[in-house]
Amino acid sequence: MSPVPADLPEAAVRRMADGAFTSGLTVPDFAACLQLGLEPVGFVQGFCVMQWQFYRMGAGMGMAGYGSPYADTGGYSENYQCPHGMVSAEHRYWGQNYEQTWVEDAWTEGFTSSYSRMAEEAAEAGAHGVVGVVDTSYPLADMGVLEFKVQGTAVRVTDGDPPPDGRPWTTYLAGQRLAKLVEAGYAPVSIAASAASVRVWANCVTENLTEGSTSMYSMATPGSEIEQTVKAHTAVRRLARRRVRDQLEHDSLHGAAMTTTARELGQGDAELQCVLRGNRVRRFKEFDPMPPPVPTVRLL
Amino acid sequence: MTTFLPSNDGLPTPEPVDLKAEMLRATRALGQATPAKAARMTSDLSIDEELVLHSIGWEPVALVTGTSVHSVPYGVWSWGQGEIKWASQAYARSFARATERIHAECTKAGAQGVVGVHVDWEINRHHIDVTLVGTAVRPVTWNGLSADPIFVSDLSGRDFALLHRAGWTPLGLAAGASFVYAPRRSMGTAMKQKGLNVELTNFTEAMYAAREAAMERMQSAALELEGTGVVEVKVTEGPMPFAHHAVAFTAYGTVVRLLAGEHRHVGARMVLPLDDPVRAFDVTSLRGTGPG
Repeated sequence: MSPVPADLPEAAVRRMADGAFTSGLTVPDFAACLQLGLEPVGFVQGFCVMQWQFYRMGAGMGMAGYGSPYADTGGYSENYQCPHGMVSAEHRYWGQNYEQTWVEDAWTEGFTSSYSRMAEEAAEAGAHGVVGVVDTSYPLADMGVLEFKVQGTAVRVTDGDPPPDGRPWTTYLAGQRLAKLVEAGYAPVSIAASAASVRVWANCVTENLTEGSTSMYSMATPGSEIEQTVKAHTAVRRLARRRVRDQLEHDSLHGAAMTTTARELGQGDAELQCVLRGNRVRRFKEFDPMPPPVPTVRLL
Repeated sequence: MTTFLPSNDGLPTPEPVDLKAEMLRATRALGQATPAKAARMTSDLSIDEELVLHSIGWEPVALVTGTSVHSVPYGVWSWGQGEIKWASQAYARSFARATERIHAECTKAGAQGVVGVHVDWEINRHHIDVTLVGTAVRPVTWNGLSADPIFVSDLSGRDFALLHRAGWTPLGLAAGASFVYAPRRSMGTAMKQKGLNVELTNFTEAMYAAREAAMERMQSAALELEGTGVVEVKVTEGPMPFAHHAVAFTAYGTVVRLLAGEHRHVGARMVLPLDDPVRAFDVTSLRGTGPG
């Protein structure tokens, strides 16, 4: 075990000085980590509680420039003008898809802060890496408050050197999966995650099609594709992927999971959010294909 | 760690790996600069799937997606007779357009096909949404030139490798759906059946009609891809929450064709696990919350 750092809170010093390590690993994962030469140091966590709102202050009625061709949220946006040339209180003469950069920034801040706090805790405990990372975000008590939590098991590599930049490597993997990753020639670099958020303010055509209306003003064949909605869905997934790729530099993303949620707000309006997470890995040895596995049938 | 059984085809048993040394080597490599020529890959495959893909000479390239949403006109769910064609067509078009888009992303990524596609579809009263997410893959030695068409498949990396070893190839996704009204019973029939536990033949017949149409559409799509069959077919059936008087039947799967002269037996070995099942008891009985 590493010596206890001097600048930890008093309770943490006392806890760590006891000499017992803590770990979130299952027993099989714990055994596999020991096989890899990874010694658990401690169960580490990072938290960040964010005030959370989808509407941006100062954007009239929550719309980022609704009705204005000059709207700019600093990210993706597309305008959809009414093809009928109508101007009326009941007719949606303007529609827009736009990236909710303030939602994405809030998500990034919440995630990054909790991740950094977990990594700092691991570094202070003298760990080289964090395995079996789990990240969650959920609303607290219906107050417009979101809690971000990132946790995992800090480990030291037997005979290993401290990380060159002082920041431990991290991975969602643990146990046998991590062992197979290393055996396959990949080193874990860090977890990678991003969120994208796109708001759809429907124009008249999108509104009519989403409501199934066959109004003479719909300007679209009944049963046709809802272009504005499709473009928003495509954009939100593209943005999340691009943002993760930007984090990778020349490394790869492995075992990714993409989660997209759509909150329908009625009349074609919707808010889409896409979260993409995975393991950033780096190849440290040449590709050496394994022999073809032997198919087996279990007799039970 | 991975256990390699001695195989029937004379393959050498790999040397045991010193995992501690490999882990040390991996973490030391993190201190070195990344080679600028290293390719950036994104994949949602598990490490097991990726290793199995490697074992047949394939590699993941990029995470790709395709989405489509088609409108269902107002009033089509009102009670009527026969098939609800608007809904059936909206499902078919959404599936086809989403497939085209994931196909296009695969081409752009320089891959040969997409495996492990998650098919996410939703039937709403006025729109049907289909989203496909998967990993584009290609042979490790691929030079970008191939006469083989790009395929999109919901088979896992493991199933794709097994299919490959058996001499088959996936060609694409085939889907079919049908939405059918359960016709109203006549007043006389309704009166006769009142209070009885009897078959509602109008519903049974609607279910059969929807099933036949959906399966036929999926099989026609398979033939259009020049496939010989469809594997891993997933079906759903039942009424929609917003239309209890109509039944939907959906089906999709991966179209396959035999590439080799004949099917190659993969020669699966039988294994008998010797670990006993864990026996446990219901701890709630100790808390006095059980019956009695």
